[in-house]
Amino acid sequence: MKMTGIIFSEMYIDALNSLTQDRNMAAIPFGGRYRLVDFVLSNMVNSGILNVGVLVKQHYHSLMDHLSNSQEWDLNRKIGGLQLLPPFATEDANTGSSRGKLDELRNALDYLETIASTPYVLLADAYVLCNIDYRAALEDHVASGCDITMLATREVEDSRINFASVMKADANHRVTTYALACPAKSGDYASMGHMIISRELLINVIRDYTSRGIYDFLRDFIQHEFNRGRLTINLHEVDSTVLRIRNVEEYFQSSLAILDDDVAAALFRGDRPIHTRVTDEVPAYYGLDCQVERSIIADGCFIDGSVENCVLSRGVKIGKDAKVKNCVIMQGSVVGEGACLENVIVDKWVTVSGGAQLRGLDSNPVVIRKGVTV
Amino acid sequence: MFQRKKECIAMLLAGGQGSRLYVLTQDTAKPAVPFGGKYRIIDFPLSNCINSGIDTVGVLTQYQPLELNDYIGNGQPWDLNRNWGGAHVLPPYTQSKTESWYKGTANAIYQNIAFVDRYNPEYVAVLGGDHIYKMDYGKMLRFHKEKGAECTIAVMPVSMEEATRMGIMSTDENGAITDFEEKPKKPKSNLASMGIYIFTWSVLRQYLISDEADPNSENDFGKNIIPNFLKDGRPMYAYSFEGYWKDVGTLDSLWDANMDLLDPKDPINMRDPSFRIYARNYSAPATRLGTGAKVTNSFVAEGCTIRGSVEHSVLYTGCQIEEGAVVTGAVIMPNTRICKGANVSYCIVGEQCVVEAGAKIGEHPENYLDGDWGIAVVGHQRTIAAGSVIKPKEIV
Repeated sequence: MKMTGIIFSEMYIDALNSLTQDRNMAAIPFGGRYRLVDFVLSNMVNSGILNVGVLVKQHYHSLMDHLSNSQEWDLNRKIGGLQLLPPFATEDANTGSSRGKLDELRNALDYLETIASTPYVLLADAYVLCNIDYRAALEDHVASGCDITMLATREVEDSRINFASVMKADANHRVTTYALACPAKSGDYASMGHMIISRELLINVIRDYTSRGIYDFLRDFIQHEFNRGRLTINLHEVDSTVLRIRNVEEYFQSSLAILDDDVAAALFRGDRPIHTRVTDEVPAYYGLDCQVERSIIADGCFIDGSVENCVLSRGVKIGKDAKVKNCVIMQGSVVGEGACLENVIVDKWVTVSGGAQLRGLDSNPVVIRKGVTV
Repeated sequence: MFQRKKECIAMLLAGGQGSRLYVLTQDTAKPAVPFGGKYRIIDFPLSNCINSGIDTVGVLTQYQPLELNDYIGNGQPWDLNRNWGGAHVLPPYTQSKTESWYKGTANAIYQNIAFVDRYNPEYVAVLGGDHIYKMDYGKMLRFHKEKGAECTIAVMPVSMEEATRMGIMSTDENGAITDFEEKPKKPKSNLASMGIYIFTWSVLRQYLISDEADPNSENDFGKNIIPNFLKDGRPMYAYSFEGYWKDVGTLDSLWDANMDLLDPKDPINMRDPSFRIYARNYSAPATRLGTGAKVTNSFVAEGCTIRGSVEHSVLYTGCQIEEGAVVTGAVIMPNTRICKGANVSYCIVGEQCVVEAGAKIGEHPENYLDGDWGIAVVGHQRTIAAGSVIKPKEIV
């Protein structure tokens, strides 16, 4: 494989509030047994990518723990494999929040130097959930002769939330206009936080820009150079299901979206499985009086109550006569007897006391922080 | 030169055909038979080993070993991928002078003396691969050492009726074994051998060599090695085990053991996080229940899609239960599809089967008046045609 993958694990951290309090974005639990990073990482592996660097900066213990020796993704390789790329604690290091992608990419410089056998680099954000083969994108990039290929979706309606970049393209899929951090109009192409660039160009840009104190990759490099006609951008359209998680509401809606059969079929394909860390939980137990409908239930759950339109992660317990509806409940949380939850995101290891009543709105779910008792 | 040394290693006898499981072991060895949603029988002794501090396990295979070899792999799921030690699959092999197949359980270990010697162990645990149980062999090893035993046999009290089908020990007040009988007509005791032995290796090694030299021997632990130990007055002790232990060597007992998982009291103690049973995992998404699904009193592994009704059943990884299908008292093995309107009850359905629309398998015992009731069994990779009927006790 002629391409290395670089994953950005921290995006939209502020907008995700308490979900990213103890973990970075890539480590947010999703879909009952996954973390967000599993999707992009599995896509890379399923596309034959053997070298993956994961850029991390703040509270990444949870991600390290999850990726461990990366054997579940078959990336515990002697040749290639997965490498975490934390910052160097040098004198000029930025210990605060990220100043831009180039700031983080600087920490990948040495790594990029060592992978000379792969002339291309796929830069990918972990906030995007999809199941696609990057090989097609790479072929497209090489054939286009462009400097950069952006993976994007064609929006069918006007969006409310900003995309990292929004593009228009000609019939040959060459980008004609490139805008940053704005909503998309119907017919526009919205970036997926995935792009392909040559390793050589990337290394040069990182060196050149960071030495001048410039860190915004999209604005100061891509947009700036594109607007001056010095950079050509190819657009690779992805027409399968793509979920983006940029704030709590999107997290909630995407979590429940996979209850839809078509969405699930697009994301979880037998020929391209999404891999994740194994925890050796026992199979789920459904009690004598439980009622479970239209839900996703992971291993280790113990269900005595009623569950409707929910995603339950591993080891969740739903007590007798408890009712949970439109909820995302993460690993190890317990909902006590007779409790009633609707439109609630329950983080890991939460105890919901018996009889508790919690109701959020589907546009504004209640979020219960990791480890608390309510 | 210093020779590295392991205190205790395990030899796991996994060559059994399991002929009483009929269609379920047609193409696979008994220890590889799926159990309890996401496990295989062999996960229990392998997990017991790692939970007991034994990190070196020789797995002796013979009958249909392909699936088992593949499953064990480098031992990683059980944390048995070690630079020195770990899980090793040991099939029979040809040697310069002798034939190759394992003639009996003792011969299987005899042929692998060189493997054991590599670890220079003080003790060797010899384990069967056909039971569902959780046991800390470390406690048994401590007992073995405290008693100064050269052989310790794990025993369990059984009913006198069962005793006639098992190896039965008589012991003195200290637990020393005074008598041993295979399948006695009139049992003198109710302590049955669980097929779990700990031997002092230097002693066992000698007995294996002399047993091999005996042309009349069947080279079997129960029939030859143990009686020889007894005859020579070797210190042999019975280690009483209390807890869940079930032979899953027959279709009925396999079904029963699966149903035990539905007991809210959890007799197998599956949920104990300090003594997990490990299994090789496949990347399946979490189980999905559709609108109109109804699942009660069931044990369901990951990767299933359920749109029908499931009651009092165990569903293994990747099963699909379509709309209107009714599954009751059933054990459905991995990746099997129960199509619309099929009725599947009181049965075992093997891996990767398709039960087509409207087919009927098995029957509730109270509803079946046409003859002898028993669970129905469908082998692996079968297709049960639309509308067809598999009666109770039938095996296809």
